[in-house]
Amino acid sequence: MRIAILGCAYAVFRGDWVGSFSAGGTENGSKMFFHIYLDRNMQLHPRHFGPHLRDKLIAKLIQDVEGTCSGRHGFVVAVTAVETIGSGLIRDGTGFVTFPVKYQCVVFRPFKGEILESVVTMVNKMGFFAEAGPVQIFVSNHLIPDDMVFQSGDVPSYETSDGSVRIQKDSEVRLKIVGTRVDATEIFCIGTIKDDFLGLIGDPGGAT
Amino acid sequence: MNAEVSLVLQRKYEQLQQLADDPSAQISQVFEKSLQYVRRFSRYQNPDAVKQVREVLTRNQLHEFEVCVIGNLCPETVEEAKALVPSITKRGRMDDEKIETMLTDLATIKKFE
Repeated sequence: MRIAILGCAYAVFRGDWVGSFSAGGTENGSKMFFHIYLDRNMQLHPRHFGPHLRDKLIAKLIQDVEGTCSGRHGFVVAVTAVETIGSGLIRDGTGFVTFPVKYQCVVFRPFKGEILESVVTMVNKMGFFAEAGPVQIFVSNHLIPDDMVFQSGDVPSYETSDGSVRIQKDSEVRLKIVGTRVDATEIFCIGTIKDDFLGLIGDPGGAT
Repeated sequence: MNAEVSLVLQRKYEQLQQLADDPSAQISQVFEKSLQYVRRFSRYQNPDAVKQVREVLTRNQLHEFEVCVIGNLCPETVEEAKALVPSITKRGRMDDEKIETMLTDLATIKKFE
């Protein structure tokens, strides 16, 4: 039994802030942040039907999708606009109705070979952990320049022999991603600071 | 670029604050972290400056990701730009002079934003 519920095929809350800088098309953001269109089939229980059906559907979409991560698109950071909501289809056997929704969102996906800035969260003798947005990056001590040595103590850090460069918790570091791994719920990366112009930011010339 | 993302996320955050009638809808950690990150690392505060930067960079027929990497990292010298984005030299599209002009334009926008 198929009864199409009157679908809402117009865009809902297309904020003007999305339009103000998508002049260059749908790309918005750095290489790691993308502004893309995605599709999803949303299931809705009949108790939500009524004058606020669309709003409830969008709220459910946001709840379901924001904060999740997929291998292909990376982290969905925020839903920015809902493009179309198709006609609903009643599922046989249950009263649930499925709506295909097309929406636009900001996603975050790191790429191998990308250079980005991050904040150090933890330092130990194997290397240090840094965070760039929702993604965690590990820099092993093999990928740290040889002149930087681990200093343990109250505040563990990596320091050059003359003490000019010091990487510790909360320092800003520019690193290059050498590998990514996607789990069910998060993306994890390995980085290096061994190349030119990488390393502590705010230091003239960066790490050698 | 991070600056643009920062503006988008900031607006979204304000929207979420206004719609706080549903207290169970927490702002997801991913969103929170991303917002903090782009706020901390966006080089330009002024939306007009961001538009100008994008204009300057796209004028030089760069690929989208090159625009973003240069806009995000703001290299100061030509060598730094070449090390960060090796592809701008590969196709022979940009010679050192053009890169230099582009970087000085960016530095000017940053100074006067």
